[in-house]
Amino acid sequence: MHNPRPGLPEFDYVRPASLSEASRFLAEHQGEARPFMGGTDTFVRMRDGFWKEKYIVDVKRLDGMGDITFDPSTGLTIGAAVNMNRVIDSPEVQEHYPLLAEAAKTVASFQLRSRATIVGNICNASPAGDTIGACIVMGGVLKVHGLDGEREVPLTGFFVGPGKTVLKPGDIVTAIRFPVLPQGHAGRYIKLGRNALSDLAIVGVTAFAYPDDTPSGYRFKLALASVAPVPLVPEKAEEILTGKPITDETIAEAAQAAMDACNPIDDVRGSARYRKYMVRNLTRRAVTDVLNRLQ
Amino acid sequence: MTRIIGKSIKRVDALGKVTGQTLYPGDRDFENQLWLKVLFARRPHARILSIDTSEAEALPGVVGILTAKDVPVNQYGLQIPDQPVLCGPGSNKKGGDVVRFVGDQVAVVIAESEEIAAQARDLIKVEYQDLPVVDDPEFARSGKAPQLHPGVLNNIADYKRVRKGNPDAVWDKCAVVVESVYRTPFQEHAYLQPEAGTAYIDEAGRITVHCAGQWTWEDQQQIAQALDMPPEKIRVVYDAIGGAFGGREDMSVQIILALAVKYLAERGIYRPVKIIWNREESIIGHCKRHPMIIKTRWGAQANGKLLAAEVEIISDAGAYMYTSNKVLGNTVITCTGPYEIPHVKIDAYAVYTNNVVSGAFRGFGGPQGAFAAEMQMNKLAQKLGMDPVELRLKNALTPDKTLSVGTTIPGGVSMAQVIREAAWKSDWQFTGARPEFNPNYPEDLPRYVTGRGFAAGFKNIGFSFGYQENSWAQVELRGGGDIEEAVVRIAGADVGQGHHTVMAQIAAEVLGVELDKIRLEVSDTAFTESSGSASASRLTFMAGNAVREAAEFALSKWQAEERPAIAEATWLAPKTTPFDPETGYCVPNFAYGYVAEMVEVTVDTETGFITVDRVVCADDVGKAINPEQVVGQIEGAIVQAHGYTILEDFQVHKGRVLTPNFSTYLIPGVYDIPQHVDSIIVEDPHPDGPFGARGMGEMPYLPYAPAVAAAVYDAIGVWFDQFPITPERVLRALGKVRSWI
Repeated sequence: MHNPRPGLPEFDYVRPASLSEASRFLAEHQGEARPFMGGTDTFVRMRDGFWKEKYIVDVKRLDGMGDITFDPSTGLTIGAAVNMNRVIDSPEVQEHYPLLAEAAKTVASFQLRSRATIVGNICNASPAGDTIGACIVMGGVLKVHGLDGEREVPLTGFFVGPGKTVLKPGDIVTAIRFPVLPQGHAGRYIKLGRNALSDLAIVGVTAFAYPDDTPSGYRFKLALASVAPVPLVPEKAEEILTGKPITDETIAEAAQAAMDACNPIDDVRGSARYRKYMVRNLTRRAVTDVLNRLQ
Repeated sequence: MTRIIGKSIKRVDALGKVTGQTLYPGDRDFENQLWLKVLFARRPHARILSIDTSEAEALPGVVGILTAKDVPVNQYGLQIPDQPVLCGPGSNKKGGDVVRFVGDQVAVVIAESEEIAAQARDLIKVEYQDLPVVDDPEFARSGKAPQLHPGVLNNIADYKRVRKGNPDAVWDKCAVVVESVYRTPFQEHAYLQPEAGTAYIDEAGRITVHCAGQWTWEDQQQIAQALDMPPEKIRVVYDAIGGAFGGREDMSVQIILALAVKYLAERGIYRPVKIIWNREESIIGHCKRHPMIIKTRWGAQANGKLLAAEVEIISDAGAYMYTSNKVLGNTVITCTGPYEIPHVKIDAYAVYTNNVVSGAFRGFGGPQGAFAAEMQMNKLAQKLGMDPVELRLKNALTPDKTLSVGTTIPGGVSMAQVIREAAWKSDWQFTGARPEFNPNYPEDLPRYVTGRGFAAGFKNIGFSFGYQENSWAQVELRGGGDIEEAVVRIAGADVGQGHHTVMAQIAAEVLGVELDKIRLEVSDTAFTESSGSASASRLTFMAGNAVREAAEFALSKWQAEERPAIAEATWLAPKTTPFDPETGYCVPNFAYGYVAEMVEVTVDTETGFITVDRVVCADDVGKAINPEQVVGQIEGAIVQAHGYTILEDFQVHKGRVLTPNFSTYLIPGVYDIPQHVDSIIVEDPHPDGPFGARGMGEMPYLPYAPAVAAAVYDAIGVWFDQFPITPERVLRALGKVRSWI
């Protein structure tokens, strides 16, 4: 944790005119250039000497990066440069994707959220990312511009390890797209921090469900933050909630399965054991809250 | 009737601070200034074999690099000189080549910019030979640990004892005995303004240091001693101070700033220097509140009368003495509470380790002592089935009852009155003692459980134990027929508590002039002498008396037609005596403040989180010279104590700090603090205090942790002998987080 410099180290600020130019530049300067959005993580990591990039490639003003668009037939697209406060305030998000607003509200402070972005939260690939769970359970798909042009990358399998993703040199995530959500859906994000505002999650639990033709009558999706090297989907817990009629026992069984799925670490914010126990408690609460919202 | 005393007048520093005009040390800039950057050791225990600065010195923009060989007297310290200014070979003091904690300073780079200084610092090559790390104070004093300082047997930096009566003769007579081991945590001061300063040679040829501290005169002495210069060649000026809480009592950047100026001048370079520590440097570079282990056994008769107390205190002093010996004295006084106990035995140790240095922090050993004492009282009440308020009233000190050190308290003892006030205003009712929670037969607790707790406390005003407390002030009256201007010169540090405002109020009251006639000239050793430290809740009492007296003298000269009328006063507090080395017998202090608190909490049994819903604090301040500032101090102390009790968790592993910034070390924010605080000002005048005032800056801090712990017990039936009471500790105590998970 040695902070070698009083401020930021020297770097070149690059603002390409197009996505292709940006991708080429990033690929050519692999390992020494990084796409730049809000900078809320980038600058801290550079100041602390963890990242030593020579180039900061500002892509946030390129076409479409700053847009939120909603189409009732295709869904929601949030440009990579849209800050979290705009997401929280968006009427379309509030009406059709309220879980995303609920999760974004728990990130840091209002000031930070004026810079921080959803796509940045995802690309940062911290297991503690508060909005990642919502993006996973609502079927978010990343739009990526690379050397070979545009492609889509689902969030399933996107995270490889802490800070590591499947993105390749030259890749720039330009937006996240969400499908139209099934009728009657409901979600809940519960974050546990050491203080009421601004701490990183000791544990975060995202729960999401919608009515479906299943034994329980619902399709359930869950995601857990800060309990594994990557954002974790406890599949067995999802299956329990989907595959059996919902009772207090089913919820308890699913909560136990969620706890068993995680593999947290001890750190200054909490021990692994406390985290596991809280996953069980908070999963139970999140699922119960979702059921109440569904009815 | 007073005109200005007792009124919540606007603070004299308010306008400058809210408009951004006021200069804090980091705000002061000079056109041709050079920058300093410190190379910290960042290892807890090591011998420095060599330091190679050649590469760093070759970096363009580097003007010089200071190491141990450049320090004239490489040893300093507030109580005893046991710390090298810079660690390394070439030190002219024995043991100066040994690093004893992560915040020891190894080199100081002087460069054209802060960036260059930082780069050069990283080019300095230091060869360390790591030494075994002593991080446990019990091991440190066991006789098996390496000796950390020359000539300090078993690393015992200080030892005090008290013997009163004979506890061993009366344990049989006790109806209840409570025995516990308490562990109190580190705490970081977390002042908003990190250490910073500037230095230069002034027009009178003095090395002048602008910084933030708590005692200009003492800073001047320590700088002069390390530089081997007469004190009058050193000048210390305080800029605005962004919080201190004890953390600025010891040197941080003062000596190295002066040393850099001296080094440059010797090479014909006359340029100012500047330094600002970042938050991480601040957190590893200054002291913390002492963690303590307090092992104690108390006994009482069936009617609640206390009979005996036995206490062993082991205080982790960290790497150097700082104020550990004085802090220990306060813990000795407070560890048996504001109660009369006929049979007392106390053994208290301050022990050197390789942990971050411990030093002064609001309460100065009092919060640790008070935690042990009040926990014992609440546990005794529970065992006796007695109302904890009634138990306290039964045993509370009065003017004719003796402290554990064998003497009575001078200047009024309002403990019982304050306890009654807090109980009355909080509508305290005793509905029977709660049984202890048994994790093997867990109760079916609802998710949210509430509880109420009570605790009391007392804390000395001023540095005493035989030290002759003193404080200086000067008043100069100008004008013809009427006083047109009254210049008040004082050295007391306004660390944010509002000291200067209170001094202006006292001067205006005595002189019979309006406040706008008062001009303060403050905290500059060029024209102020020693007003003593901004510590020990002492400034209103000590400096207030000095200002009152200087103003009275000046006024009589004015009435005798002297123009201008100048008078100064050094007010001396009543005499005290040191601990007797065998029995501890002494008159430790000349004045105390008294406080009692009721706390209401809600415990979330699913997450373990505690919220404090209400605090009622009654505090005898003698006389509230500025009531709004008094309330500010009560609320501030409670918020800081709240962090200490349930949130702040300073973690050190093998001497290394795991929480060196505000994302890992959390302090309470506005959503975390108690929902509601009722501040009740009690005024039982002190016969020696200015207008009857006592001190009050620390007292409301003391009962908070034990009051919260008692409220948590009332809620869930678990005594927490160790804090912070984190959610995880709550759940573990309820048997919910078990090892098999």
